[in-house]
Amino acid sequence: MSLNKKQMIKLFTNLVRTSHYDKMMYRRMMQGKLIGFYHPAEGAVAPGVGACTFLKKDDNLNPHHRGHGIIHMVSKGIDVSTFLAEHTGKETGCCKGRSAFHFHYPDDKVYQQSGFIGHNFAPTVGWGYAAKRRGKSQVVMNCSGDGSYGEGRAHESMLMCQNWQLPVIFFCENNGMAIFSSSEEMHPTEDISSLAQGYGMPAVIVDGQDVFAVAEVAMAAIDRARKGKGPSFVECKTMRFNEHDIGTPDLKGWEDRSEEEHADMRKREPVRLATERVLADAILTQTKIDGIHEASLKEIEGVEEFADNSEICLPSEEELLADVFVD
Amino acid sequence: MRTITLIDAIREAYQEEMRRDEDVFMVGQDIRGAIFPHTKGLVEEFGSDRIVDTPIAESGMYGVALGAAQEGMRPIVDFMFGGFSYVTFSECTVTTGQYHFLHGSPRSLPIVMTAGVGTGQRLANDHAMSIHGTFAHHPGIKVAMPSTPYDAKGMFKAAIRDNNPVMIPWHMGIMMLKGDVPELGEDYVVPLGVADIKREGSDVTVMANSLQLQHALKVADKLQEEGISCEIIDPRSFVPFDLDTVLKSLEKTNRLVVVDEDWESGSFANTVSANVMEAGFDLLDAPVTRVTLPNMPVPGGYMEDYIVPTPEKIEAAIRKVLA
Repeated sequence: MSLNKKQMIKLFTNLVRTSHYDKMMYRRMMQGKLIGFYHPAEGAVAPGVGACTFLKKDDNLNPHHRGHGIIHMVSKGIDVSTFLAEHTGKETGCCKGRSAFHFHYPDDKVYQQSGFIGHNFAPTVGWGYAAKRRGKSQVVMNCSGDGSYGEGRAHESMLMCQNWQLPVIFFCENNGMAIFSSSEEMHPTEDISSLAQGYGMPAVIVDGQDVFAVAEVAMAAIDRARKGKGPSFVECKTMRFNEHDIGTPDLKGWEDRSEEEHADMRKREPVRLATERVLADAILTQTKIDGIHEASLKEIEGVEEFADNSEICLPSEEELLADVFVD
Repeated sequence: MRTITLIDAIREAYQEEMRRDEDVFMVGQDIRGAIFPHTKGLVEEFGSDRIVDTPIAESGMYGVALGAAQEGMRPIVDFMFGGFSYVTFSECTVTTGQYHFLHGSPRSLPIVMTAGVGTGQRLANDHAMSIHGTFAHHPGIKVAMPSTPYDAKGMFKAAIRDNNPVMIPWHMGIMMLKGDVPELGEDYVVPLGVADIKREGSDVTVMANSLQLQHALKVADKLQEEGISCEIIDPRSFVPFDLDTVLKSLEKTNRLVVVDEDWESGSFANTVSANVMEAGFDLLDAPVTRVTLPNMPVPGGYMEDYIVPTPEKIEAAIRKVLA
């Protein structure tokens, strides 16, 4: 699928927006203005933007945990100001301040952020089942990392989705690292997408630093699923510029990742690559690009203000106990 | 009234609720062929779309229910044997139980989980264990287990209509137990969270459920001949638990034996014992006495007989609290 100018601008805009969101989260974590932890997405923003920018409101989405789902949810068109409020323990949070990093936007078909890596795979089958049973054309965009494919659940899910020809995209954002462990060491094959072959599922590998390439592939997979042609597997080769989560050492195995590795990675920073592309193709001028950055920063300022101006949520134990079950 | 078996009563509950609501469906392994007869004949009426067999992949199987419930459907998951729920334990306990609460309580998960449980078949540990106590430990999941065909049909119907996740296993030792149920077409439910006094008495209260309830009723008959009057309470639900009915009984009897077919350590019997001590210490004339499984893996073969709660063990416990 080739992209038109309007689509390219939308992708570029979301890439810029989400990379600023990621930087904001990083900054707030360092400032002590975020509860819990943060797993920065820098270097790996393009896959989520490419996967989610053209999803419909009715499509199910499981966001990758890196970036705490913000990259994917913002790209899908979700207002994440209530998630930042949640992540700061405020009563305006999307989960009433109870969840820290577990977001929930059921109206936008984002049902969970599991603290258990790989717990996206099992309900993915159920979302696909519901879509098929009800004869709706909704698709399931199931995003997770290379590490998550170590879980047996990934295999159960691929087995069942392919068996029943469910409208699911297994969208693997392979940054080569799971905490300190390299994909190279933990997986027997170079490509995670090789696994799809065992289930007879079509698979494609794409440069995960190129948001436009990712989007073309994602749109084809979405289109295929929407037409009832079953699941497919997309593997994005991407990168993790930072440590696993802020404050942990940046190791590979038990040794520091080298400066050379970092320098090499940063040569392929996705916003820079996309900027070069839109300028070269005359899709956007530098002035327009500057405007997109400014608008993104302004948007984020508003999101932060909303969170910061909200009250901390501290209900009584009795109130909480009354909320364990629904009547 | 008609007389049917407990397992047939469960099947009637599925049939009636699936006819009533298109969103109710079942997922499990070999449920179409009915490895246990509670699903016999369902696929002929409801089709493979609603009586869904999966590969031997418990997490994926449970995931069908979890994802579909998030999408607003009302799944019933059959684990076949209770111990098999452990294969997808994180999903069916932690993830399921926290879903409603942790997200600020906008939506719940109307999932019904069921499985055959209990000793009596000499199948050993993984095929003979109880799971009600373990599920009761996890917040956000209702847990119940029927003891009679009437309760089975009414409680399964209540579970399917409940908007919360409900684990409702059934004991294999009483699957062919016969009892009266209302005529077909007479809709009724047995609400979850309400205990039932299965036999009135005045000297000692015995709390027991499922197969153990049958044992307790037999012991009560025997002791009646000696003039010992047992009040037998079936908790029916473990979460929510009807402590009031137990306390009210203790006002009369002042003595409590809790029979629980589960390992002693961390058992529901321990919870009841602690609850009664905290809320009804002054009502007690003797320490609460428990009849549970010893803390060893349930052996298979003939050795099973030595560790299960038997009528003899229940009788001994009753005599102890009366001594």
